[in-house]
Amino acid sequence: MAVSLGMVLVVAVVDYLTGLEISVSLLYLVPVCWSAWFGGRSAGLFVAAVSAAAWLGHEMLLNSLFDHPWVLAWNTLTLGVSFALVAVLMATLELTQKNLEATVAKRSAKLREEVMERRQAEEQLRHVNAELQQTQMQLIEAAKMEMVGRMAAGVAHEVKNPLMILGMGADYFLQRQATSNAEASLLQDMKDAVRRATHIINLMLDFSKPRPLHLVPEDLNTLVINSLDLVRHLLLKHSIEVVRELQANLPVLPLDRTRLEHVFVNLFTNAAQAMPIGGTLTVRSSLQEVSGVSSDPGPRVMLEIEDTGPGIRPEHLPKIFEAFYTTKPPGQGTGLGLAIVRRILHIHGANIVLGNHSEGGARATLTFNLTPKSLS
Amino acid sequence: MNRKRILVIDDEPSITRGIKLNLEALGTFEIRQVNQAPDAVQSALEFKPDLILLDVMMPEMDGGEVAARLREIPSLKDTPIIFLTAIVAHEETQGGEAYIGGEDYLAKPVDLGTLVQAIQHRLIE
Repeated sequence: MAVSLGMVLVVAVVDYLTGLEISVSLLYLVPVCWSAWFGGRSAGLFVAAVSAAAWLGHEMLLNSLFDHPWVLAWNTLTLGVSFALVAVLMATLELTQKNLEATVAKRSAKLREEVMERRQAEEQLRHVNAELQQTQMQLIEAAKMEMVGRMAAGVAHEVKNPLMILGMGADYFLQRQATSNAEASLLQDMKDAVRRATHIINLMLDFSKPRPLHLVPEDLNTLVINSLDLVRHLLLKHSIEVVRELQANLPVLPLDRTRLEHVFVNLFTNAAQAMPIGGTLTVRSSLQEVSGVSSDPGPRVMLEIEDTGPGIRPEHLPKIFEAFYTTKPPGQGTGLGLAIVRRILHIHGANIVLGNHSEGGARATLTFNLTPKSLS
Repeated sequence: MNRKRILVIDDEPSITRGIKLNLEALGTFEIRQVNQAPDAVQSALEFKPDLILLDVMMPEMDGGEVAARLREIPSLKDTPIIFLTAIVAHEETQGGEAYIGGEDYLAKPVDLGTLVQAIQHRLIE
């Protein structure tokens, strides 16, 4: 307001000194517009009235001569009304702009909110979709298991009796010792073949009908060390260096020793087979605090098994735990190893994730709950 | 030399024959084969075995039923029985789970070494 009145004063003085009439008088619009824009309608009207009064004042000081005294009054009135109109227009314009800005801001906020809601909905949809896919996979897996179970029980009886006949025959000729070395080797090969076929049927039986767990508080590190000992010949044969990074004083876990050793032996054997000309097998255990939305927060015992082999090819990863899926040459893998590993871990309430580490080899990450509450 | 008598009951003649040939070749066992489950009790009464090898899954009468009938006979009620079964995995026969009603059982196919060890173990008991 002070700025506007100052400007009115300056214009009045200039108008008085120069006597340039209308060309200077129009400059009164500057303070009028200024006050209306920044001060609102009332301030604009006030400055318009002051400007008209200032114009009248300097006209009277100049002693302007008009034919009729009403002409000065008329001119002051028209000028004052014009100033007032400009002030009202300017104030309205300013108000409209402010309203427009407010509307735009409000709509932008609403739009942002909508975008956010849509993103959340998309995220939920993705989550539901992932769960659905997982459920579908589990159903397929369960159906496959049921089929394996039925097949295993049926096949077991029909195949094991002939295998026993073959085995007994080989045993008989072997103990007679009436054979040459070549014949003895052949008989031994027959016994090995019987053993291999039996192993596969037993795996199928065990897989389809897992025995109840015998849970005892165990130190995970001890089971790892025992299992490494069980495969030491294989590790030596492949010139594999074993690096143990086992965290001391881990809490004891409710585990079935035999089943867990089966899991570790399987994973160590896979690692050894991935490094036929040597490498490093790293076994790392630790206690970690898990936080996140997908799982219950709390402490977990983690076990990482890493090799320096070629790693797992990305196309194999989605199917690697499926029963009868194998990447090994025919006759060298049943495709049941990792499926059994995962099943054993799941019935312990533990989890396994397979992937590759940054150096390129494979990494298995096993996560164990401290209590058996999540046992299924 | 007093050879131990073993009665082998299995519906598959090739299996009983294989067991008979193998065990008799060791020189310390005398074997009688039975391939019809209903004949088991009569054969056992005649043969007076020191131990019985008994298949679990047989068409006319299963191993459990045969064992129950044998146990009803006073002279046979303490004769050790080792069951042979094809429908369990080998691992299941290890440790404490390997006993059904105080009897051993072995998962088919059994190799000669395991069979002899199990027989000797029960005979010593």
